[in-house]
Amino acid sequence: MIEKKPDWLKVRYNQEAIDEVAELMRDLNLNTVCKEANCPNLGECYRKHTATFMILGSICTRNCRFCNVCCGRPMPPNPQEPENVAKAVKHLHLKHVVLTCSTRDDLPDGGARQFANTVNAIRELCPHTTVETLISDMKGDRNSLDIVLEVKPDVLNHNVETVKELQKEIRPQAGYESSLGVLRYCKDKAPEMRVKTGFMVGLGETEEQINVLLDDVLDTGCDILTIGQYLQPTPAHYPVARYATPEDFARYKEIALAKGFKHVASAPLARSSYRAWEALEDIHDLY
Amino acid sequence: MEKKLLMPKLRPEMEKAVLCAWLKEVGDEIKSGEPVYEIETDKVVTQVESSYDGVLKSKLYEEGDTVDVLLPVALVEEKQEAV
Repeated sequence: MIEKKPDWLKVRYNQEAIDEVAELMRDLNLNTVCKEANCPNLGECYRKHTATFMILGSICTRNCRFCNVCCGRPMPPNPQEPENVAKAVKHLHLKHVVLTCSTRDDLPDGGARQFANTVNAIRELCPHTTVETLISDMKGDRNSLDIVLEVKPDVLNHNVETVKELQKEIRPQAGYESSLGVLRYCKDKAPEMRVKTGFMVGLGETEEQINVLLDDVLDTGCDILTIGQYLQPTPAHYPVARYATPEDFARYKEIALAKGFKHVASAPLARSSYRAWEALEDIHDLY
Repeated sequence: MEKKLLMPKLRPEMEKAVLCAWLKEVGDEIKSGEPVYEIETDKVVTQVESSYDGVLKSKLYEEGDTVDVLLPVALVEEKQEAV
């Protein structure tokens, strides 16, 4: 039995409006995290002709309890993928594109080279498009992170996902310190690059734990923050502990901005790549 | 011409969904892009829009019914363009 959702968790859907993007992805053999993660904003984003590309296949080597992406043994990276993503970006006239991935612990570089190749392919075909790389922790391997940093993404995004105390339960193959380390290393190595992270509420965290998370993340030099409601993808996933209200999200935003984040997107349906260009536009003049 | 509004298949593994509310009554005018009914899925409530301008001719299910994906949920008499 599905628990009744609060009124603020409503989205609109129109099959015909999303067909064009869905067909483009099929034709170019591309995946989007919108579809693979069953994102509630898919209808809105596809309708606006935008999407978050999920490179390196749709199968993940990790089994996080909040995530809808399938876990298993992935295929080798598709050498055509970088060019195909660039073609899709051009077709959709995207001014800002977010690239994310399934976590690829099976690859020695964690998929970093495929990220770099995709960023380069987009820059070649769409030189005015800004690129955001939403990366896995790449096991914290600095050589892998360097491969991504060398192509200078406009935004480097890596999610801490939840407070320190819930990491083991929610993402057992990742870790709080490791994710903070990724953010800190990237900002230290490329101070001019915007660094971004995000976390979910509704997993059972306390206000005090959220406060500590905000301080810890800010201390890495992170600029941009997203805060959204955790939504259980299927009954087999980690249960929702509570639905935070829109007022709660407004309060989190106020607290985070007061602490010093340059841009905060905080709303029940905010996701790490949702309206990502707005963050970039908002803080453009600060650099 | 009569058009069918289908239960959408929001993701590959989705087989059915609960129709939780009708947002229009039989006889109501509907514009393309207007939400006609709500379905409850695991993550959110989704308002399904009409792709047609017309009049809601019939509801094929009651609120609370579980409907297989891609089955017709409602019939819309499409507005004919004047020639």
